[in-house]
Amino acid sequence: MIDQLKTDFDKTITNLKLSNKGIEIRRKSLNQFSENGFPNKRIEDWKFSDLNQIISSNIKGLNFYSNLTSDKVDESIFINKFKHNKIVFINGVISSIDLSHEDETKVSLSKNLDLDEDRKEVNPLISLNNAFTSSYIRVIVHENYSFNNPLIIYNISNNNLKSTALNLRTDIVLEKNTNLKLITLFDDNSENNFINIIQNFDIAQDAILKSYKIDHKKNSNIKYFYNNINLGKNSISENFIFSTGSKFIKNEVNCNLNDQFSSAFINGIINLTDTQHHEIKTNINHLAENTKSYQLIKSVLNDNSKGIYQGKIFVDAKAQKTNGYQLSKALLLNENTEFNGKPELEIYADDVKCSHGSTSGNLDEDSVFYLMSRGLSRQQSKELLINGFLMDAVEKITDFEIKDLIKDLMGIAE
Amino acid sequence: MDAREKEIEKLKDYKYGFSTDIENTRAPKGLNEEVIKFISNIKKEPKWMLDWRLKAFERLKQLKEPNWQKPKYPKIDYQDLYYYSAPKSMDDKPKSLDELDPKLLETYKKLGIPLQEQARLNGIAVDAVFDSVSVATTFKGELNKKGIIFCSMSEAIQEHPELVKKYLGSVIPLSDHYFATLNSAVFTDGSFVYIPEGVRCPMELSTYFRINATETGQFERTLIIANKGSYVSYLEGCTAPMRDENQLHAANVELIALDDAEIKYSTVQNWYPGDKDGKGGIYNFVTKRGLCKGKNSKISWTQVETGSAITWKYPSCILKGDNSVGEFYSIAITNNHQKADTGTKMIHLGKNTKSKIISKGISAGFADNTYRGLVDIARNADNARNFTQCDSLLMGNKCGAHTVPYIKNKNSSSNIEHEATTSKISDEQLFYCNQRGLNQEEAVSLIVNGFCKEVLQQLPMEFAVEAQKLVGISLEGSVG
Amino acid sequence: MLQIKNLKAKIDNKEILKGLNLDIKPGEVHAIMGPNGSGKSTLSNVLSGKKGYSVSGEVKYLNENLLDLEIEERAHKGIFLAFQYPLEIPGVNTNIFLKTSLNAIKKAKGEKELDAIEFLKLVKQKAAELKFDEKILSRQLNVGFSGGEKKKNEILQMSILNPKLSILDETDSGLDIDALKTVSEGVNALRSKDSSFLIITHYQRLLDYIEPDFVHVLINGQIVKSGGSELALELESKGYESLS
Repeated sequence: MIDQLKTDFDKTITNLKLSNKGIEIRRKSLNQFSENGFPNKRIEDWKFSDLNQIISSNIKGLNFYSNLTSDKVDESIFINKFKHNKIVFINGVISSIDLSHEDETKVSLSKNLDLDEDRKEVNPLISLNNAFTSSYIRVIVHENYSFNNPLIIYNISNNNLKSTALNLRTDIVLEKNTNLKLITLFDDNSENNFINIIQNFDIAQDAILKSYKIDHKKNSNIKYFYNNINLGKNSISENFIFSTGSKFIKNEVNCNLNDQFSSAFINGIINLTDTQHHEIKTNINHLAENTKSYQLIKSVLNDNSKGIYQGKIFVDAKAQKTNGYQLSKALLLNENTEFNGKPELEIYADDVKCSHGSTSGNLDEDSVFYLMSRGLSRQQSKELLINGFLMDAVEKITDFEIKDLIKDLMGIAE
Repeated sequence: MDAREKEIEKLKDYKYGFSTDIENTRAPKGLNEEVIKFISNIKKEPKWMLDWRLKAFERLKQLKEPNWQKPKYPKIDYQDLYYYSAPKSMDDKPKSLDELDPKLLETYKKLGIPLQEQARLNGIAVDAVFDSVSVATTFKGELNKKGIIFCSMSEAIQEHPELVKKYLGSVIPLSDHYFATLNSAVFTDGSFVYIPEGVRCPMELSTYFRINATETGQFERTLIIANKGSYVSYLEGCTAPMRDENQLHAANVELIALDDAEIKYSTVQNWYPGDKDGKGGIYNFVTKRGLCKGKNSKISWTQVETGSAITWKYPSCILKGDNSVGEFYSIAITNNHQKADTGTKMIHLGKNTKSKIISKGISAGFADNTYRGLVDIARNADNARNFTQCDSLLMGNKCGAHTVPYIKNKNSSSNIEHEATTSKISDEQLFYCNQRGLNQEEAVSLIVNGFCKEVLQQLPMEFAVEAQKLVGISLEGSVG
Repeated sequence: MLQIKNLKAKIDNKEILKGLNLDIKPGEVHAIMGPNGSGKSTLSNVLSGKKGYSVSGEVKYLNENLLDLEIEERAHKGIFLAFQYPLEIPGVNTNIFLKTSLNAIKKAKGEKELDAIEFLKLVKQKAAELKFDEKILSRQLNVGFSGGEKKKNEILQMSILNPKLSILDETDSGLDIDALKTVSEGVNALRSKDSSFLIITHYQRLLDYIEPDFVHVLINGQIVKSGGSELALELESKGYESLS
């Protein structure tokens, strides 16, 4: 793989026309990745998902270089339920940007691929991304501006993309007292690729971000998402993860509550069939007083699928009056399913309220019986209970339009 | 202040901190084949035992010390330790208590564990282990009548080789991990218990471990076998003198419960924790594992961990027999610079197996307290159930409380529930207790004992009271 | 028994009590009435010694300077505060708590501590007097108790600890009429020529059942009017506004 990496790296940087410094930084990252390659299960964070093994058994001859150019957008896949702004990636290439619903003086964009020095490489996949980032977009929402309509980032792929590692990055900067609803939506029509996406959120004082990540179309791609969220005073970050489409996804959220009265919400559902394998891993760092975090993750596992939730709440000694809550519930509906969890607390302050809970098991037979006694079939009863189980997390979405969109995608009619 | 006054002053904090001035027989310093042969030889062990030890030693050379645990410790120089130390007076095996060195009798009396016939604790048979050897076992005759074997490990190797051969290392394999393997190579003594089929052991069995010698590691080995339909409740207590050096204690405990048998194993661990600045204290690196081998068997671990500079242990249950039950009740209190990384593993292999984990961690001063646990439900463990509750209490913001549970479920008919909370003693609660006339320390002790209640209830009556006091004492000076 | 002179109390630099004067003699029942935020609870907290207030002025209790004493020392000397919101203490059995408390007080007084049997006898007797279901005593302290049960538990503790000065902080809040009656009967049974009461309340209704010797109106950190029990009725009809 090392040779392939080197060749593909040279092709990538030639293609991207970078500054010498930019190339240097990328080369450093490449070396960092090359040292150990894809993480395997001997690394604690990847204990339950051996990415090295997953990639080698699903992708033959992985390329790190892609020379695809922008394809034509199939507009039928756009959400038509509500007006929205669009940034469209096709096969990892930015194909269109439409912010027509917004005041253009209040929003800035940048696509500069020259990375700056201070990007932290906290894991090998971030190094990989830093080395190969081929599409980058930075959205800055200027002070006191609230988006009129949601922004949807479409990540579309078609069958021109094969056995390729795509490395994309988005930075969202919310300046003071701003407001943005963001949906990152995947529409995969490609097979056997590795898609590695970093999203970085800097949320300043009094700003509110609502970010929804939707991966719903069944596909054989392997994905890793790294979300880094920095929260300023009195700011709010609401996140929802809808994880059902790809063969493998690891959704990692690192969230720093840097200043007082900031809050983070991470809710999500994992709903799997066949041999899908999805993981959500969160790291919530309470670094200031009076901060709050809330997490609710619901997993439904069918057939031979595997679900994982690793969640950590860290409370610094400074972060008195922290409120941290974490709950993971999983339904194992088939004898060949598997659920693994590691809900972790690391606490250094005494005046805090932190709790976590985790359950896994089958549907409650008493409830099935109760519904059947009211005339429903076994299948109907189960479906009703499963939907109810998932809805618990969906109901946490505070935006009604988006909540409806997700219910639609789940096939739940109101 | 003269030396004696100093000694008295020190003992206020840790009343077991005295040392006994007694002449020792020691193995030469260091870890090598010769020392292992020395230990085996002085115990007049059969060849199979020595071979077993040497095999472990071979394996040890290929193993690395683990380093994933939270508490880090300075590198231990294994060549700078004594692996065997015994009171000289034990060289010619005293035949009865009357022949036992009075200094030893006095030591145990001071520890509150009288060995003499007339002063014995009612209803508790005691095996007293001093450094590397068992010095006395009480009530042996009475137990013998029921066919119960309760003796030192050394004696068991001589007298009951068939049982030892069959079960030693059957739960903790020779090459399990670094410290367990080290123990297999150099273990010196410990307790052996065998309860025959259908017998309910009429009294609590207890081992009292005492480290006395300096620069000595204690490596004891305990093996308890409960045959079909039998029951035994076993308790261990531990103390050590206050010394500035860190001392290593790496014990292995194996429990085997056959069909319908039940073993209840309780620990009150009060090794010397080091002084207020974190100097000295015991490294308590212990491997404890129980195998519920038979159907309907049950193993229950209860531990009150208040001592040691570093505690690092995970008393575990392998639930192999169908319908078997594993339980783990734990209180871990860390104060000053103490560190604890403790918890359990519940491995569900059989059908309808159940496990329950109740862990209470209390952290004060500059201490760090980690619960680390694994609940693993195998593919075939139909209808397995686990319930886990981990509660942490923090006192002050220089200490830490951590919960690291691993949950693996591969069976869809099984059910795992895990709950954890972290809290503090609220000022309002303290005010309420103060207003009812309790002073600060009484109030803290009361509230903490309330917090620990579910675990304290599991201890045998005689020790519950002692443990409650210990809970209060361990936290003295940590609030206000 | 209790003489308060020019008592001031601040919390977070906000002055709550602004020079309060009060004199309670043995056997007297005093009621302090006042609107929300007038400083009623602060008064009971300061008298029982809760931390967090900066206090000035003079409080003499049994000729001792009360403000110099720790919370538990005040309790040992016979001050009892019936909490407005009694605390829940998980895992601690109510009986054990009461016994520990009673014996701590007895020990401080130099009296013989009660053993388990003597204590249970005393509790049974007191519970019967107060028509209090003693089953509740084997439960965890105030955990899962209803509002009424918590308040009754406070009164039971009061009767067992037999204080000299009982401070009842809004004991009537959250009680239905039956519980109010039980609680009041409990208090009335404890009235004697040696024991005094300070009843802090927002409403007059408690005073229908426990007739005070004196009523004081506390507004904005000061006693603005004092009188006999008729003052309570006057307040009920005219409201606090008439006085402020």
